[in-house]
Amino acid sequence: MKWSLPALAALLLFYPFILTGPFYWDIGVAFLLAAISASAWNIVGGYAGQVSVGHSMFFGVGAYTPLLFYHLWGLPPVAGVPAGMLVSLALAVAIGMPTFRLQGHYFSMATIAVAELIRIFVGTWDLVGAAIGLQGPAVGRAWWDLTFRSELPYYYIFLAVLAVVLYTTFEVERSRFGYYLRAIKAGERAARSLGVPVRATKLKALMLSAVFTSVAGSLYSIKTGFIDPESGFGILVSVQMVIVAALGGAATLFGPLIGALLLVPLQTATNTWFGGGGSGLTYILYGGIIVLLARFEPGGMHEWWQHVAPRLMRRSHAA
Amino acid sequence: MLLAQVIVGGLLLGAIYALFSSGLTLIWGMMNFINFAHGEFVMLGMYVALLVVVWLGGGPATFGFAAAFALFVLGVIVYASLIRHVMRGPMLAQILSTFGLALLLRYTAFWIFSANFVSLPQVSLSGTLNVGGILMPVPQLVAGVAAIALTLGLHLLLTRTTVGSQLLAVAEDRNAAMLMGIRPDRMQALAWGLAAGSAGIAGALMAVSYPWSPSVGETFGLTAFVVVTLGGFGSVPGAMYAGLIIGLIQALSAYWLGPIYKDIVVYALFAALLWLRPQGLMGKA
Amino acid sequence: MRTASATMAAALAAAAILMSCPPADAAGTVKIGILWPLTGNAAAAGQASKAAAEVAADIVNNKHPELADLPLAATEGLPNQGGAKLELTFVDHQGNPSLAQQLATRLITQDAVHVLLGAYQSSCSFTATAVAERYGIPFMVGESAALNITGRGFKWVFRSTPIASDYAATYMRFFDDLKKEGKKIASIAVVNENTDYGTSVADSIEVAAKKNNLPVAIRIPYSASSTDVTAQVLQLKEKQPDVVIFISYTSDSILYMKAMKNLDYMPPMVIGDDTGFSDPSFIPAVADIAQGAMNRSAWDIGKPGSTTYKINEMYKAKTGRDLDDTSGRNMQGFLVLADALNRAGSTEPEKIRDALAKTDLKPEQLMMGYNGVKFDATGQNTLASTYLIQLRDKQYQLVWPEKAATTKLDWPMKGWKQ
Repeated sequence: MKWSLPALAALLLFYPFILTGPFYWDIGVAFLLAAISASAWNIVGGYAGQVSVGHSMFFGVGAYTPLLFYHLWGLPPVAGVPAGMLVSLALAVAIGMPTFRLQGHYFSMATIAVAELIRIFVGTWDLVGAAIGLQGPAVGRAWWDLTFRSELPYYYIFLAVLAVVLYTTFEVERSRFGYYLRAIKAGERAARSLGVPVRATKLKALMLSAVFTSVAGSLYSIKTGFIDPESGFGILVSVQMVIVAALGGAATLFGPLIGALLLVPLQTATNTWFGGGGSGLTYILYGGIIVLLARFEPGGMHEWWQHVAPRLMRRSHAA
Repeated sequence: MLLAQVIVGGLLLGAIYALFSSGLTLIWGMMNFINFAHGEFVMLGMYVALLVVVWLGGGPATFGFAAAFALFVLGVIVYASLIRHVMRGPMLAQILSTFGLALLLRYTAFWIFSANFVSLPQVSLSGTLNVGGILMPVPQLVAGVAAIALTLGLHLLLTRTTVGSQLLAVAEDRNAAMLMGIRPDRMQALAWGLAAGSAGIAGALMAVSYPWSPSVGETFGLTAFVVVTLGGFGSVPGAMYAGLIIGLIQALSAYWLGPIYKDIVVYALFAALLWLRPQGLMGKA
Repeated sequence: MRTASATMAAALAAAAILMSCPPADAAGTVKIGILWPLTGNAAAAGQASKAAAEVAADIVNNKHPELADLPLAATEGLPNQGGAKLELTFVDHQGNPSLAQQLATRLITQDAVHVLLGAYQSSCSFTATAVAERYGIPFMVGESAALNITGRGFKWVFRSTPIASDYAATYMRFFDDLKKEGKKIASIAVVNENTDYGTSVADSIEVAAKKNNLPVAIRIPYSASSTDVTAQVLQLKEKQPDVVIFISYTSDSILYMKAMKNLDYMPPMVIGDDTGFSDPSFIPAVADIAQGAMNRSAWDIGKPGSTTYKINEMYKAKTGRDLDDTSGRNMQGFLVLADALNRAGSTEPEKIRDALAKTDLKPEQLMMGYNGVKFDATGQNTLASTYLIQLRDKQYQLVWPEKAATTKLDWPMKGWKQ
């Protein structure tokens, strides 16, 4: 199966030519965004085993700064991306320092609370558009506004970012840092006794994860041209990252990608088929499938495939 | 006088918070398991109350018990069919399972009852009590007192009865409990039943004075998390104090600073507490 | 890792199958794509509007001589388009602006709709209209509060409904009329839920009140998901304004009325800014304690036999509820769109746009109580206006403006004191 990695890369590169048309490209963009966010989350939520359910705080910060730069100073939105990364970094330190003394669910709860706090606060803050939110340039002034008529440029920008995130994760996996993360996930006490700097490592993972998540948020708001508290900091944003990563397989390089590949088309298809009917069937199916997967494949699809693939292989060899 | 009125309002609301959070804390403490569908249990309790009133014409006592019973059964079913299988799996699968369950329950209710807001038809509870100039609406008063009584009842059940000590034994050490002849599976099913049942009856009590639609569970769920974390997980009295305190903080900050700041104050205090006392008010360090 | 990418390939194939949904195409139809929140927090409004749009389509597509006042009702389909029928495609954007963007793209490029209608939440209208503008497809905003949905220099976006500044101006004219009758209106209070809707309307009211030298005694923003509103009501009780304007959603509106009774507070006048006060759940829940509560509405069911009454009967037969103002304004947006489609005589976007720009509907051709429909250069209806109605027993009665009123205003309100 040496062919599979290049094949995958080729598939992603040529997807816009396989399924053509703005709607399919937009789904491609949505898929890439889900994959980027979930991969970013995966660094701290998967590899370090610190399940954050408040990653929307980084996503939201990243989403707000570009439009804020445009709104306040008329700068091209993309100029706000580094600012978003910096603020997210600071936020990660502020959150990580106290909460990483805690274990297990406390970290999850604390992240939910901080994200909610920020969401409500941003909703009352006039400078950042309060409840109404911020808009980007309706029509791009020049190419550097990154306001394209077509979805295609977004697709390739997002794809490039995904490649960077995955490559970084790949390098992390192989490094000493990655080894520390696995040790912490396996058991903090044991890791500490082996001399792993537990809190520093967790904090580093959170910082890395926050920066990438912030970039994902920036991509979202530049592409959508709009941000408000709910779509930036809402709990559903965080939950989506967790679900995508967990469904595909957390703490694996391609898990989030698999999760996004399953979930985004599933969401699109159920919404296309049942959304217009308005019976809520979209969510009943969506929720039901998540429950079933959690019940029968708690390790995610990646793990499932590892069970199934060898058996399939054997059968095909036997035939 | 106005201040006293604000305080009373906050405490009455806090009492309900206490009741529906005590179920969440029970599960969390016993199994180290977060139930993201807890708010949905409260929501279902509200609809059970509505059905009982509309179909059977029952009063508050009837629909309260009906909601408790129906949700108890649901809690046991959820445990047996889902939780039992994921509880020793990865933490992510646990989170995923109850997230999915929350969506499933919310939108099944949506499907059956539609998105429209409903409220209980005027039940026998109405009127206002005037105690020394402080006005107390009877429905909220009854609900608040009942909520505190039930929360205390749950606490007594856990601390003063054989069943309670068996539950706690399973929470402390599953294997040791098994050696003592306790069947952990049964005890945990019971815990889920009690947790969902208390959420259900809290929903029924809320329904008396609060109009709702299927998406109401989200708000309740988030509130319950804050209450439980503040109170210290696993601690029913902790949840009670935390519920009352949060009700009070919300009311006072809404009155002094303005209603939009009440949640900001609650979450900010909560974040501060995580710095200072991460184990919660009544939690074990 | 290799197995993973193989999974990916398999999943991608599955994804491709999942997503391939051929667009239906029928001859002799004009397609309207409609974006509303059919699930999520605003689902109730989206669902009610969907039913209203289906009634509107029935009125246009079939012969309804009994509604002859309305354009296109008496005939079948669009006469200028060879009797072409309207075909509706509903999509559910769940209140998610990014999804609204994607669905607008889908409706335009996959379903090949000729016009769009939507999107309720301002956030979703912002993103969906931008897509329509990009593709040059006319977009009718049936109901969205934020002021700057029109006026962004867009050429393809029209809004038939009155907007926040119109409402504010209406309230000021109403107060002037009351003052002329010698009623005391020395100060008002504004209580608003704090998302885009409440904030837009409350901001506009504050601006208008300042211009009219009417002091705003207190403004209380709050979250619509509040489970307790005691504090707000006590704050009002302290300030004693002459009029309290609630810009609220459903459950909070009901909570306010109940809390006011529980805390024994009744100002001379309570005005609900539509939405929550217009929700069909509002009247059954609080009719006996909120007698005389005012509500803003451009919709009035009217007397039996009237066009509006018949429309309400059609809607009621479908849903079992009375038509509310929000759905009514969305339905009116639909009918304005249908009128323009007919006059365009073609499904070419440019022609439809020109027809929309030339729209000139008279009050008697409308189901809602606007002074007409005529769009300015930004696409905003300049003749949009609204009534004020007052709760009597279990129904609202039209009390202002005087020329349309069916009953006299009750002042001060009775509330729970019969």
